[in-house]
Amino acid sequence: MKRSTFLTSLLAFALVTACDKKSDSSSAGNSSDGKKLTIALLPKSKGNQYFATVEKGARAAAAELGVELIYDGPTNTDPAKQNEIVEGWVNYGVNVIAAACENREGISGALKAAQEKGIKIVTYDSDTTPDARSFFVNQATAQGIGETLMDTAAKLCGEEGEFAIITATLTAANMTEWRKNIEARLAAKYPKMKLVTTKPCDDQKDKAQAEATNILNAYPNLKCIMAICSPAVPGAAEAVKQAGKAGVVKVLGLGLPSENRQYVKDGVTQAVILWKVEDLGYLTIQAAVAAAKGTLKTGDKTFTSGKLGAMEIQDTDIILGKPFVFTKENIDQFQF
Amino acid sequence: MKRYFRELSVAAALALLLLVLALVAPSFFSPQPLLSRLTAQTPSLVVAVGMALVIICRQIDISVGSQFGVCAVVAGLLAAAGLPLPVVLFTSIGSGMVMGALNGWLVAGLGLPSIVVTLATMVTWQEALRLFQQGKFVNLPPGTQWFGLRQLGGQTALICAALVLLALAAWAMKNLAAGRFIYAVGTDAEAARLAGINPRRTTLGAFTLLGALTGLAAVMNVVQSPQVQPTCGAGLELKVIAACVVGGVAVNGGRGNLWGVFAGLLLLAMINPALTSLHVEAHWEKAIQGLVILLAVVADGLRTRRSRR
Repeated sequence: MKRSTFLTSLLAFALVTACDKKSDSSSAGNSSDGKKLTIALLPKSKGNQYFATVEKGARAAAAELGVELIYDGPTNTDPAKQNEIVEGWVNYGVNVIAAACENREGISGALKAAQEKGIKIVTYDSDTTPDARSFFVNQATAQGIGETLMDTAAKLCGEEGEFAIITATLTAANMTEWRKNIEARLAAKYPKMKLVTTKPCDDQKDKAQAEATNILNAYPNLKCIMAICSPAVPGAAEAVKQAGKAGVVKVLGLGLPSENRQYVKDGVTQAVILWKVEDLGYLTIQAAVAAAKGTLKTGDKTFTSGKLGAMEIQDTDIILGKPFVFTKENIDQFQF
Repeated sequence: MKRYFRELSVAAALALLLLVLALVAPSFFSPQPLLSRLTAQTPSLVVAVGMALVIICRQIDISVGSQFGVCAVVAGLLAAAGLPLPVVLFTSIGSGMVMGALNGWLVAGLGLPSIVVTLATMVTWQEALRLFQQGKFVNLPPGTQWFGLRQLGGQTALICAALVLLALAAWAMKNLAAGRFIYAVGTDAEAARLAGINPRRTTLGAFTLLGALTGLAAVMNVVQSPQVQPTCGAGLELKVIAACVVGGVAVNGGRGNLWGVFAGLLLLAMINPALTSLHVEAHWEKAIQGLVILLAVVADGLRTRRSRR
């Protein structure tokens, strides 16, 4: 088993290098002539709707800027495969690699090796170590997510009443960070609202539904359930629906429009929050091209990116902006 | 009375828990949440029945969670393709049977240890499913949820189906030859063989039946909501094995009662909602569940020591 994967990758590597030999002269010629830049875009996994949407935005930016875009990644999330693909691109001679990193430390070696060959590295969605890339296109800061969640919940509840949180686990680093920001916003702006309980769902829709049923039962005055991991949003919605409390107890959360569309249309879930995934792809390619051309430099405070306008830069993070709120009115425009 | 001491003590613990709730948080017994909670447990109950047979047979199957996920996605995709419910149901049961029979063949036919075999199939099915589905939910057409019935009708149907199945299986374990075979093989396979029972065929049968029940349970889960999460079986094996152990099924085979498993499952399943109703912090939930399982295992250990003397 292990041996055959090794052989397959060896074979794949041989094929890639064989192809390189042929294209070497032409691609090198391209970049030195200052003609077409080649940008390689690496998703965490290829068949995933989320990254397919990133690719769509990236293609739009590439067409606008007149650059070549290569999109490739593991079929399944696989950090080792990401490294192989990066190494293949280094041999091929691309100008910029834009990567969503599955393993923060695991990929940094391969990216640094690419940097040494003069290839610019930009990361998006999930960062590597800062020394292995020039910029990180950050889709949302923990503060942005926490504040948008809390503000939306407050709006849905009329800024008063009890609410509960369903999270993936009580220890997950990113969610702990979001919860801190939610609680800070709550303390600062909404004195009449009260967080009654926080329950984990282990990233399971069915467990989230069970927990939401329990919460609805134990806290009869509850006005809103906030689900901060994506399977928990439809899970909480199903519980509210089964309890016959659709519209009475509001549901909101971080999730994908495609997993929540029916509940949103039926008025069970009021708001689904996520960044505009297509814009993430667009901004990533804009930043990648600007970094290659030298118009985007370390120390810049803003970055003007095509149709998105001026984006804030914090240190070396280019911030996509506040997350987007999907509602009944706009959810049908988004397919991911 | 003494013979069913273990089962009765689990039932007593469950009764005590419910009594505390009735006094402290009577709203726990309002009909809707109770019905939703019980319905949500029906798939686990069906799998636990099959798991009890396999454990009584002195084997174990930790791949049921993965089998459950595969069957649920198969059922979901067929339903989404517009196929009628009986087709969906039988394909799911069939898929489960095939996966269960494979485990059974590897264990009984090749004589491999069941923990290793099912660990391997667990990972295989789980990764194959992840590769195939990429974590994407399957959205079901309207009319799939609750078999197209109203919510109350669907919930009642699922609960009745699970209870009828439990009663039938409990009856069969006591009164049918096949049921007695399972106890005999689990107690002493060699003695069973000398008595004219085929231990291999019995073991294969137990695994296959567990697979079929897992396929059935997957459909019972799928019809409870309008979408299927591909990882819906994650952790199911632990839950049903725990229900068996707490319910008095001996881990080293030969002993166990399905009504005890029923009580064990209910006890474990009610701990979570009970703690929420008592406004206890979420951090304690898993620790308390672990403690209940530990108590059951210790009780079993003491009993075996006493009987050896």
